[in-house]
Amino acid sequence: MARELLNIKGLKVNIDDKEILKGLDLNINKGEIHIIMGPNGSGKSTLAYTLMGHPKYEITDGTIEFDGELINEMKADERAKKGIFLSFQYPEEIPGVTVEDFLRTAKTSVTGKMQGIMAFKKLLKEKMDLLEMKEEYASRYLNLGFSGGEKKKNEILQMSILEPKLAILDETDSGLDVDAIRIVAEGVKRIKDESRSILVITHYNKLLDYLEPDYIHILLDGKIVKTGGMELAKEIDEEGYENIKLRYSHI
Amino acid sequence: MITWKRIKLENFSFPKIYDYKKEFIRLEEELPLGIRLDKIYDTVDKTKINWLNTSEGNGLGKEFISFVNEFYNSGVSLYLERNSLIEKPIVVEFNMDKENPTVVDKNIIVAEPNSQATIVFDYSTDEGVEAFHNGFTEIHAGENSSLTIIKVQRMNDISQNFDTNIAYVKGEGKVNWITAELGSQISGSNFTTFLDEVASESNLSSIYLGDGHRKMDLSYSMIHKGPRSISNIESRGALMDNAKKVFRGNLDFKRGSRLAKGGEEEYVLLLDPTVKSDSIPALLCEEDDVQGEHAASAGQINENQLFYLMSRGLSEREAKKLIIEGAFRPVIDRIPLEELKQIIDSEIERRLVNA
Repeated sequence: MARELLNIKGLKVNIDDKEILKGLDLNINKGEIHIIMGPNGSGKSTLAYTLMGHPKYEITDGTIEFDGELINEMKADERAKKGIFLSFQYPEEIPGVTVEDFLRTAKTSVTGKMQGIMAFKKLLKEKMDLLEMKEEYASRYLNLGFSGGEKKKNEILQMSILEPKLAILDETDSGLDVDAIRIVAEGVKRIKDESRSILVITHYNKLLDYLEPDYIHILLDGKIVKTGGMELAKEIDEEGYENIKLRYSHI
Repeated sequence: MITWKRIKLENFSFPKIYDYKKEFIRLEEELPLGIRLDKIYDTVDKTKINWLNTSEGNGLGKEFISFVNEFYNSGVSLYLERNSLIEKPIVVEFNMDKENPTVVDKNIIVAEPNSQATIVFDYSTDEGVEAFHNGFTEIHAGENSSLTIIKVQRMNDISQNFDTNIAYVKGEGKVNWITAELGSQISGSNFTTFLDEVASESNLSSIYLGDGHRKMDLSYSMIHKGPRSISNIESRGALMDNAKKVFRGNLDFKRGSRLAKGGEEEYVLLLDPTVKSDSIPALLCEEDDVQGEHAASAGQINENQLFYLMSRGLSEREAKKLIIEGAFRPVIDRIPLEELKQIIDSEIERRLVNA
């Protein structure tokens, strides 16, 4: 079995004709946790949206291969079915649609198998308990009136129900207090195994202590300029992005 | 020949009306004492219905109403004695098929004081049948009575639907209308409620779905005559493909309707730039001391919402369906019949996902 899950080569992406990603390379193997760090405006969220297939993000060059297949042209729902999941930085509110109904529909779509109502209720309850979410959330409208932290937890709940091969977490730690970060990190670790990988996109290192990543990448101006281990996060923490930019921006 | 400009109905003439031979009343249990439910053509002289001949209200127009009065081939009369109560909804269902392609139904419901009932009318067609429906439902709600009338129209895209509904509500009586307009090629529907006495009340909840080349004319009026009368109209719609819709909501406060209160709200989701949606809310006042509010708004399905749902594996059509159902939810939740909710859900699904 091939170990490689995600292979990005020379990826260039435009939004409204402005180039944001300028030739990005990234390899993620099965079972690995990767962190991408970078200052605001470096292209982190663009990478997340592009990997999920947002129609506004136009790939002008390069390739994205997922699980051995070129996915450049795939729509978001096809990517989800292949096993990509994005935890949104700003999850959308959908009035009139309950968390439970939505997740059951999503699970049915992703797996291609009808989800029995009772069996699904049980699964949902189990996953919600692990995330210390109150049962009432299941019958609330999706993200409507949720606090920032509740929305993020709801994203992790969706991830744990859908069990993707690659979970991309876009700034999932922002807006969370210490306890919530621990719960979210545990949720993330629970899904990771030999075949599932995690890509965390963040500009802080709050989640790092819990996650024990395999690799840390620094994203500057649309390119990955440095890849290393935990020492890179420490470097950013101690010196700040301004110094990091000076050191690596020539690359 | 009738010309109806709003929905571009030109040189319309009524088709030949055939007998409707199928059973259309569905009763799961015996009706309690004091309640009479008959087919309209069995009724005429038998019942105690003596409030008729009210000539107020034009509904869809004199032509349509007098056509029903002359040529009706089906319909029910329901008489609720004082203090009578039906717990389970009465279901009246018309399924137009090859042998029974036309329904002209005349329905009369009379609720004496303190009585209570829920009546469902369901209009459907077989696939491929060019059906025609023209109906007239007249309601008399007595003092402190409470009626819920649910109308579901899910006819196919080559059929025509016309429906007039007029209610007269006495003191502290209440009429709740719930209407789901989901089908037909041309649909004209009118709901007019006269709030005649002190604290008469009416609520109208509507959902409508326009797809394909459907043309819809929806007209809802609340006519306040009684002091402290209360009305509310809430309409949720979705339009896609080349559908056209005209929505008219009238709150009419007549002289004498002191301290009356009326509200109307319409929200429509526009799914394609090729749809046409006109909303004409009107507020008419002959009395100073009344309270009327209206709001109409249109929204597009936001690209980010769609992407969010699709990122969870839903196809574009499934995602749109979910957003529409979400918008319809407040109205659908008011339907007290699980089975009917499912019928509506699967009709929306059929039109959106399998299209």
